Order: sequence, then C-alpha cells, then structure tokens
Amino acid sequence: MTVLVNPSSQPRDTVALSFERSWGRLVAGLIGWCGDWDLAEECAAEAFAEAVPAWERAGVPDAPLAWLTTVARNRARDRLRRRTTEGTKLALAFADATEEAPLGDDDIPDERLRLIFACCHPALPMAARVALTLRTLCGLTAADIARAFLVTEPAMDKRLVRARAKIKHAGIPYRVPTPELWAERVEGVLAVLYLMFNEGYAASSGEALLRVDVSGEAIRLTRSLAELLPAETEVRALLALMLLTDARRPARVRDGRVVPLGEQDRSLWDLDLVTEGARLLGAGGDGPDDSWGAYAVQARIALCHDVAARPEDTDWHSIAELYARLPATPVVELNRAVAVSMAHGPASALPLVEALAHDLAGYYLHAATLADLHARLGRVAEAVDDLGVAIELAPTGAERRLLRERRAALLGLTES
Amino acid sequence: MRYMLLHAVEESRLADLPPQVETELEAWVEEMVGRGIELDGARLHTQADATTVRVRDGNAEVTDGPFAETKEQVAGYDVLECEDLDTAIAVASAHPTLHVGAIEVRPFDEGMPAPEVPETVADGKRRYLMLVCADMRRAMAEQGAAGSAVTEPTSDQEDTTEIDAWCDSVADRRIYGWPLALPDQAVTVRRIDGKVVTTDGPFAETKEQVAGYDLLECHDLDEALAAARTHPVAAHGVIEVRPVFV
Repeated sequence: MTVLVNPSSQPRDTVALSFERSWGRLVAGLIGWCGDWDLAEECAAEAFAEAVPAWERAGVPDAPLAWLTTVARNRARDRLRRRTTEGTKLALAFADATEEAPLGDDDIPDERLRLIFACCHPALPMAARVALTLRTLCGLTAADIARAFLVTEPAMDKRLVRARAKIKHAGIPYRVPTPELWAERVEGVLAVLYLMFNEGYAASSGEALLRVDVSGEAIRLTRSLAELLPAETEVRALLALMLLTDARRPARVRDGRVVPLGEQDRSLWDLDLVTEGARLLGAGGDGPDDSWGAYAVQARIALCHDVAARPEDTDWHSIAELYARLPATPVVELNRAVAVSMAHGPASALPLVEALAHDLAGYYLHAATLADLHARLGRVAEAVDDLGVAIELAPTGAERRLLRERRAALLGLTES
Repeated sequence: MRYMLLHAVEESRLADLPPQVETELEAWVEEMVGRGIELDGARLHTQADATTVRVRDGNAEVTDGPFAETKEQVAGYDVLECEDLDTAIAVASAHPTLHVGAIEVRPFDEGMPAPEVPETVADGKRRYLMLVCADMRRAMAEQGAAGSAVTEPTSDQEDTTEIDAWCDSVADRRIYGWPLALPDQAVTVRRIDGKVVTTDGPFAETKEQVAGYDLLECHDLDEALAAARTHPVAAHGVIEVRPVFV
C-alpha cells in the first residue's frame, strides 16, 4: 500500500486504485467483524464514496485500508443503532465488543480466504457463486455482473439477495474449511474461478465493449489466491492456464469474428503473459509428472500452442500425450484425437473419432472433426456429408457460416 | 401410534395465506400439545435454503436445492402421538397448511421413542432437519412379495447396525430421528373446494421418497453436511439438509 502514500497523486485515481486493491479485503474484514454481508457491502461502498472528497481535501492517508475500515465500521454502527430488532442489537453488541479499528494497513489480517470459501460454497447454485464472488470480492456492481452474464439487473439482484439469504439461513460458515474438506473445497473454488474466466473469455467476442472484464477479474482473484495459498500447486497451475490462454486474446477476434487458433496473427500474442505462465509452471526443467492436476496439464497444452511461432511448429506429440493425462471424457478424447491426427496423421486419428460417435452424437464438433479427417484422407464426399451434419448441429450462426465456407471450399475442390 | 406430518406447500402460494393464519396455527399447536398429541414440530426455511448430499463412487456431491424438483415442497413437519390413523388425519385436517398445500400423514416405524427436543437451541448453534430419502420401490416390492404389511425387508438387518454406528458417530450434533413406514402407507390430506379430501400415498410421486429424518443441532452447514455425507443412505439415496426455524 506504500504506493498510495504520495499525497500529490490524484485522489480520484488513487481511490480507484485503492478500490481495486482493497475492496475484497475491506469487505472480508467487515463481514468478520459484524457477521452481516449486506451491511458489510453497503458500508464498504459508503466508505469508498466518502474517500473521494476526503482524500481530495486532506490527501491520501498513509494507511488507506485502515482509513476505509474505520469509516465503514462507523457507518455500520450508525445503521445498526437505527435499527431496532433483536438480531441487530446482537450484531451491534458483537461488533462493538470486538477490537478497535486498526491504525495501520499491516495490522489488518487478510480475511479474503474465508470470504472466497464462503462465496464458492457448494451449497450455493453455481451461477450464484460466480455472482457473489464478483460482487463481494471484486466489488463489481449487480449492474456490471448482470451485463456480463446477459441477464437483467433485477434478476441479478435477486440472485445475489437469494445467495446472501441462504448464507444466513442455512448457516454457510465464514471460515477456512477443515482439513478433511480442504482439497474438495479448494477444487470447488478453482472451478468457480475457471468458469468465471471462461465465461468472460467467451463473452469477449461479442459486445465486448459494453462488458466488464470478467476474465480479468478472475485472473486477479486467482493471483491473490495463489499468494494466499502458496502451497497449492493447482492454484498456480490454474493461474498459468488463465494467463497462457489470455495471452492469445488480442488475436482471438478479428472484424467481430472468432479466429481459429491456426489462423490467428501470432505476432499479436502477449509474450509477457506466456513467459509468466511458463514460469508459474516451472516449465522446461522437469518432464511429465504424475502429480500434475488437470489444470497443470491443460496449462501445459496451452503453453505448447503459445510457444509455437507458426502453427506448423506446434509440438502435437506432446499435446497428444498431455491430453491422455486428463480424465478421459468424450470431449477430451476428441481433442486428443485431433492432436493425434496432427502428430501421426489423419488415418491414426480416424478410429478414435469414430469410436466417439455414440457418446458425442449431436455434438457439432464431432461431425466437424470427422469432416476434417475425411477431407485430409481425400474422402471428400464423406467430408461433405459430415459437414452437412455439423451445420445442422452448430449452435450459432457464426459457427454455421464457418462450416458452410468449409463445405463450399471442399465442393469447389471436387468440381475442379 | 406415532405419525409424521409432512407439510407440502407450493411456495408461490404462501402469499395467499389468510391474515389469521398465525392465530390459527398457534391455536392448533396449543390444542394438540394440550391433548398430548403434538410431540415435536417445526417450520423449515424455504427450499432455496435446502442443500442435498449424495455419495457416488465414494465422492460426496453437494448441490443446491431440495431432493426432488416437485411443485410442492416440504415446508414443515410435526410428530404426533395418536390412537389411530383416523385421529392423525383429523388432526392434520385441522391444520392451516391446508389453505395453501397438502399434508402427508405417515406412520413411523415401530419402536420410536418419544422425542426429547430442547426448547432452546444451544448458544452459537442452529438446527437442521435431515430428510433421508431413498428409492423405496424395491423395498415396497419385497414387502408386497412377503405378503405382510409389517414384515421388514431382509436387508434392514444390516442397515440397522450401520445406522446405529452412524448415530453414535454424530451423537454430538444429533437430537433424534427415526425411520418412517414405507410411502405406500402414507395418506395425503388436502382441501379441495372447501372439502377435506384424503388420498392414498405420498404428496408427490417422486423416484426418491422420504424414508426417515434426523434433527440436528450444529454450528454451521458444514457440520450438518458432514453428518449427512456419512449417513449410510447417502451412498444410494439422497439426503436433504434444511435449516429449521426456531
């Protein structure tokens, strides 16, 4: 927080920076202090609103988080005194009984871990976990989150209200899980963060300009989590996976259309992110390791793509081997088959894809992959039929258009 | 005989409750406690506050929501001591739940001791109702084959020791609980066009049915879920954990 000490810096910017850095810690501390999620969020928001004029007038305090905490606690006490019910009297007694506001930022324990485990509790619906995490830990407003997930603001408000009500009524604990639950709950938190990242990433192809950067928030939060849980290698691996995927974001969309990996302008890829991702994996030195979790394996697959200067430089042998280390779901198997076709040729991959016909019936990428293999084997008529199936099954217009173009190209080939 | 009343309501209809319902409810409770009929009972928090636990291939699956997606959801329960089923049905018929929903009346398995539920919750704790639900069709078929309504399925013998071991392991947080008779012994009471109608069977035809319950007192949801995941039925059925109003 020492960056914020300089009083000559612009308070408004400093408040914005402080918001980004301190919101989660402020709210986490307030919930621990008063036990009331709504109150904690309302008062944290008020403290930031007060910071703007106050810091403009008197300069930025030496300990911004402590300043914000004191203001927010005072606001909370005011509100609790105005209420009269038994429950809030208890909350007030609880809040008053605990220690005085801290003076320095370093005196404030970082309670975000408790908060993230509560937000990502498996008793909450998945969509609520994501929304609650973005609201409570990242400080996004309900309106921001609603826009990011294409729902109305009242619907998002309702989702957040329901989630907080369940935390309260069902007694979802505000603490770090016990050792016997640890592995499972950490996995649950990572699943929420990865979903958040992917949703944000997928959304970045559409009306991106209107949306908040949910992927960016997921990365920031995973980064914090990696600092809070330095011993958890899968947290680091997930951060690496996000960075190595995000590195390709600048090249992912062109003229409003998603560009397939093989056709992306690789000079646009963010090499700093690739370097950081690789460093997080400790890549290079050690060979395959049975202790790698699913995120570590996926991150290494992403890295194989990221370090290839041209598509034809891609190390498909390694990618095929890495896919074999993931739990063999039909979709993973399909991806593995694609890698096998690139490493060993379409003939070795065809039986793998054909074997998935039953499991992936109705999945357009199965038909599209078959089409690709048939075309590469010179079996054009079959490829054209496969593409017909894929076009029928494709979920969006953009994908159908891409498949039609491919079919037209194949037909052009047969006519010539 | 002891009976369980399962109050099943469509939550969207709760707004239709007449204003005098609280008075009616208090009067009902006062009367039934006074007559020595009401032994225990509580209202449950909304189905959105429910959490279910299943254990499959050794992994616990925790999910949001009730054990079955039915129009009507369990919203409360009562434990009655009555001389016979007709009395239990009459007691249920007088309950204000019938303004907005149904009441399933189900006998308990034999040998149930009188529940001893402390009136106040221990400091810093909360109460949860664990609905133990399982696919009972096989058990009902076996019972039919045996030709007797009271013959217990043979597999119950092993189950009992497992359940006893579970009860011991959660003695620090379990107040009491007991298995219910099979769902085909249930009667459901509703009020239709002002008339009380009883029908044979449970309030909803779901694959899994309530087979028993346990009342827990825990510090938080994780403690309740930890008890639920070790319950022998979690391995094939589903356990719904629902916070109780106290």
